[in-house]
Amino acid sequence: MMRRLALQLRLAVRNVRRQTRRSILTASAMVLGVAVLVFSRALGDGAHEDWITQGVRLGKGHIAIQHPHFQQSRHLDDRLTPAARALAEAALARPKIAEQVVSVAPRLEIQGLANSATGAVPVFIDGVDPTVEAGFSRLSNRVVEGRYLEQDDRLTAFVGQELAERLDLHVGGRLVLTGQDAAGEIAGQYVRVVGIFHTGLPEADQSIIHIPLATAQQWLGVGDAVTTLAVLLQSGWVVDETEHRLEEALAGHEDQVAVLGWRQSMPELDAAIRVDDWGDYVFHVILFLIVGLAIVNTVLMSVLYRTREFGVLRALGLTGGETAGVVFAEGVLLTVASGVLGMLLGFTVTWVFFRHGLDYSKLISQEFTFSGIVLEPVIIPVFRTVQVLQSLGSILIIGVLASLYPAYRATRIDVAEAMKFEA
Amino acid sequence: MNEQRAFAVRTEDVWKVFEHDGIAVEAVRGVTLEVRPGEFVVMAGPSGSGKTTLLNLLGGLTAPTRGRVWIDGRDLTAMSERQRARLRLERVGFVFQAYNLLPVLTALENAEFSLLLRGVDVDERRRRVEELFERIGIGGLEDRRPGKLSGGQQQRVAVARAVVGQPALVLADEPTANLDSATSMALLDVMTKLNHELGTTFVFATHDPRLMERAQRLIRLVDGAIESDEHRGQPKA
Repeated sequence: MMRRLALQLRLAVRNVRRQTRRSILTASAMVLGVAVLVFSRALGDGAHEDWITQGVRLGKGHIAIQHPHFQQSRHLDDRLTPAARALAEAALARPKIAEQVVSVAPRLEIQGLANSATGAVPVFIDGVDPTVEAGFSRLSNRVVEGRYLEQDDRLTAFVGQELAERLDLHVGGRLVLTGQDAAGEIAGQYVRVVGIFHTGLPEADQSIIHIPLATAQQWLGVGDAVTTLAVLLQSGWVVDETEHRLEEALAGHEDQVAVLGWRQSMPELDAAIRVDDWGDYVFHVILFLIVGLAIVNTVLMSVLYRTREFGVLRALGLTGGETAGVVFAEGVLLTVASGVLGMLLGFTVTWVFFRHGLDYSKLISQEFTFSGIVLEPVIIPVFRTVQVLQSLGSILIIGVLASLYPAYRATRIDVAEAMKFEA
Repeated sequence: MNEQRAFAVRTEDVWKVFEHDGIAVEAVRGVTLEVRPGEFVVMAGPSGSGKTTLLNLLGGLTAPTRGRVWIDGRDLTAMSERQRARLRLERVGFVFQAYNLLPVLTALENAEFSLLLRGVDVDERRRRVEELFERIGIGGLEDRRPGKLSGGQQQRVAVARAVVGQPALVLADEPTANLDSATSMALLDVMTKLNHELGTTFVFATHDPRLMERAQRLIRLVDGAIESDEHRGQPKA
């Protein structure tokens, strides 16, 4: 049995080598296809990673830990109690979770009004820890006037550019924030603008205000409580497993604390990535079809060209299935060789030419924003083990499927007729 | 069954009818034939007389439309395709007009093909092939690919491939058709020698008068039927 299998494999290997020119031509198409696949996936994943990073740094992090009702109510009654916060922080300190965590930003978030002498505008007010937030939020890198909040700040505010324009505010200008406090009363807080930011994202520039966390806690009468622990992770690819681990760690306390991945806290961005993924899938399916057709064409032509040879194999005692095995092995060999070469080529090209990113800033003159994020004009390709395995697996599946038909054709050869065949 | 085993190959009222554009063509018509072990049989006849088709029927390469075929006592018509493949492997050798060696294998690998499929150990395979190559005058060519061999050498490798497994029957279709006169004579010498020394049963389909001259038994086919069956004694060396 093993000898017969080895013979089939030997025949397949030598046949692939025998038709060198044809094998190389087919392999080239496949190598190129796989290389493009690797490159486009690395770039696509890089872009998505960037989108997620942009989104989570402007928003609530890769993971937001909140009271289970806060996402819906946005009400201070649904804040994290000190006990719930302690539970969450203990969970975040667990070894397998802690190694993925880059930063945890405590926030007290309310909706309110910003009032100046010019008028009043509805705003999102975030009480933040200035030191932590400076390393977390992209807002601190987008200062156009003044500076970001600092640790010793008290009655200060960092506001969006469009909001500042609407309220006619500059650095040093004063405004009064009003909102509902923990007791349900409308409370006001006077603050002075220390910095103005511009993200290019209208919803952020028009409505976000950062103030020191301690100021917000005192103003709203919540003691040490916060509404959100925003968690920044090493990368977007570990969100699901970390979210799962946190949920396990906090099991039994679901009434006090909820774990939200960025997909739940930023559903629009999630939808945008899914749509983009589908576009990629369609492109990949087209690539796979091209690669598959190349294999079918080569192997089938090879079967038709070698009809007499297959007739001889059958006459000499190989069964139809074994003859098909030779053809099948040829197709799979071509696929494996081309797949591996294509991956190497894809990695090499991506690494050599795009290691520092693909800069498309020349293609778009303005800031490009969508789904609550500002796109960076440079995409850094990302390679992931799972992506590599998926690509390799897909190519193998295509190779196997594309080799089935020629193999089937080989079983249908009429031995006596094949002997008359002139190639 | 035992009675059948007295014959290397036997047919009983075998017919082969092909359909071409709805027209039935009777390539072989009611042939009954018995070939005993060790016979050197030549089937002769004009083109279209059914020689090759009958040879294919004898080797189990094609199934008869009617009638029965036994190889070494085993009824081909009652077998599955897999069983026929197994029987061909173990009991039948083929020599084709166009040699039909596998171009990707060396001369030795071509010749040992059936032994390998039968699970014969590598040392035994090499020993038998090398001994046979020496016997038929192609010793030393074991590692050459068919493309590096002359027509005569390729046909000797094909003969070696056919006989190395000591089959009950070797079927040869126009084995000398592509060879020059001297090479043909040398090849016929080889096959006659194998018939004498090893007792290999040969059944040829040919136009070649030199091969007909050597026949121990000459069967003439006309329009798919046996016209004459002449027994002439031992083949001429």
